[in-house]
Amino acid sequence: MTLLKSYYELCKPNVVYMMLICAFVGMLLAEESVSSFWYLFVSLSGIAFCAASAAAINQVIDRNTDASMTRTDQRPLPQGELSATHASIFALVIGILGALILYLYVNTLTMILTLASLIGYAFIYTVYLKRATPQNIVIGGLAGAAPPLLGWASVSNTIEPYALLLVLIIFVWTPPHFWALAIYRKDEYAKESIPMLPVTHGVIFTKLQIVLYTIILFIVSLLPYVVLMSGEIYLFSALALSTVFLYYSINLYYSNDDEDAMKTFQFSIYYIFLIFLALLLDHFIITS
Amino acid sequence: MNQIKNLSLFGICMAFVVIALGAWTRLVDAGLGCPDWPGCYGFVVFPINEAEIAIAESRYPTFPYDINKAIPEVVHRYFAAALGLLAIFLVYLSFRKTNDKSIQGWSCFLLIFICLQGTFGYLTVSLKLLPIIVTIHLFGGFTTLLLLYFIYLKSRNFEIFNQINISNLKVISGIALAVLIFQIFLGVWTSTNYASLACADFPTCQGSYLPDMDFKNGFNLNQEVGPNYLYGLLDNPARVAIHYSHRISALLVTFIFLILMSRLWFSEAAPLASTLGILLLTQITLGIINVVYVLPLYVAIAHNLVAACLLLATFTVNYLAWKK
Repeated sequence: MTLLKSYYELCKPNVVYMMLICAFVGMLLAEESVSSFWYLFVSLSGIAFCAASAAAINQVIDRNTDASMTRTDQRPLPQGELSATHASIFALVIGILGALILYLYVNTLTMILTLASLIGYAFIYTVYLKRATPQNIVIGGLAGAAPPLLGWASVSNTIEPYALLLVLIIFVWTPPHFWALAIYRKDEYAKESIPMLPVTHGVIFTKLQIVLYTIILFIVSLLPYVVLMSGEIYLFSALALSTVFLYYSINLYYSNDDEDAMKTFQFSIYYIFLIFLALLLDHFIITS
Repeated sequence: MNQIKNLSLFGICMAFVVIALGAWTRLVDAGLGCPDWPGCYGFVVFPINEAEIAIAESRYPTFPYDINKAIPEVVHRYFAAALGLLAIFLVYLSFRKTNDKSIQGWSCFLLIFICLQGTFGYLTVSLKLLPIIVTIHLFGGFTTLLLLYFIYLKSRNFEIFNQINISNLKVISGIALAVLIFQIFLGVWTSTNYASLACADFPTCQGSYLPDMDFKNGFNLNQEVGPNYLYGLLDNPARVAIHYSHRISALLVTFIFLILMSRLWFSEAAPLASTLGILLLTQITLGIINVVYVLPLYVAIAHNLVAACLLLATFTVNYLAWKK
């Protein structure tokens, strides 16, 4: 049972669930009516296996770094619950399984996009970007922003501009989301000489970047309304959520308390969840 | 129907003229250019030669006669009266030339409304420019313009308007109209309380982004009836509160209009987005010039007229969004 739990933890379930929610919203927005729940389930499981595989690969590659950071030292590999070999085989198996599901039961486009984001996160980000540049999570964020596109593509079998708009929202959201955490964990990143922005450019500069990205996010979050994709329910939700997010980030800018960074980070998670929930509610209340 | 169309179009132009004359009267401080109503110092037009002026001054010894202030007031009154005649004629035409119940109804309403507006014109004089009365009088003028425009739209029955479907812009265009009306109120309140020059610098006010302000007195709508409100009676912090609110509210209007314009841009009525944008930009520019160049007369009148244009444009968007 503990072994099962270790494998479960290897998949970063919380991150994967959030990605699945985003992908699920992408699917539901892609069509006026939901054709088949079975199809949605199959698509989601394909994406879930690939995302879990990416998370596992990330943990295998980063196992030594993870061991020396309090945020990650409870992960199964640093704890010695699993060996790197077993974790690698597990990652490979569920990765192939996910890709096969997408190829056989969904469509090739979704499989390619999903594998591309897997490679983007598990290899390009983890192996190279993370240690190469303070813009690591900005560029790498593209892989993490893919889920709505994957969900949308699984239904429509095309790359739609609206889906890219959802990707844009997550893409712009990632830097303020992650940098808030990076401020909180600055010393640990510094110890591991990972060039996170607060380490290389200082906390003040990072906080300014968070404020600026939140302003961009404010504008980007209104785009679904502007391009007639969503209605007023979404508009008011986005306005309210973005205003609160902006409040948190400005508050963080003027604060000397690292706890405010943690609060900003936690709110950012609610933010992205509620933004997508609002998109969904708006879509179904407007169309029904 | 053709005649109604032409007459209401002419009425729109007239209404613009009357609104401009009203702004002119206010801006040259001529609201009390004639202390009585409907005559001017008891004359049908205004006293011209010395004998008439002597009679005028003997009738109202406490109101020294100034021909430069009597002219705007009297000209404004006669143009407004002409607009009233036009409304009577419009009612006549609507019953003689059409069976359109809606146009007949709105024409009658327009006529009644203009009479009411005339009453408020009288009240501005008799209550000595009480700010709330002057404010209502201007809103009455804008409403008259809107009514004429509405009748024009109905009689014209634009083909292109029938094809456009922007019903998904209902809420945002309604919000934009509400915010715009609120902003017009703040603008008129600035003018009627002589607060236009309360902040002489821009974007700061009296050198600060948070000047000393007195909202309680600035926005007291139950001002005492009786005193002469020419040149305003509020003290400086109250005027600053009014003026600065108008500026802050302009930011809000800009924000809401940017959302409306960008959404319009992706709709079937995209050209309206440009119209709104140009008007908004013009209006903001005129507002800034008003502050920086100490209220040049023609700029101030233009600021009033562009506000009316913005109202018409925003009304058009709402008309298209809410039409059945």
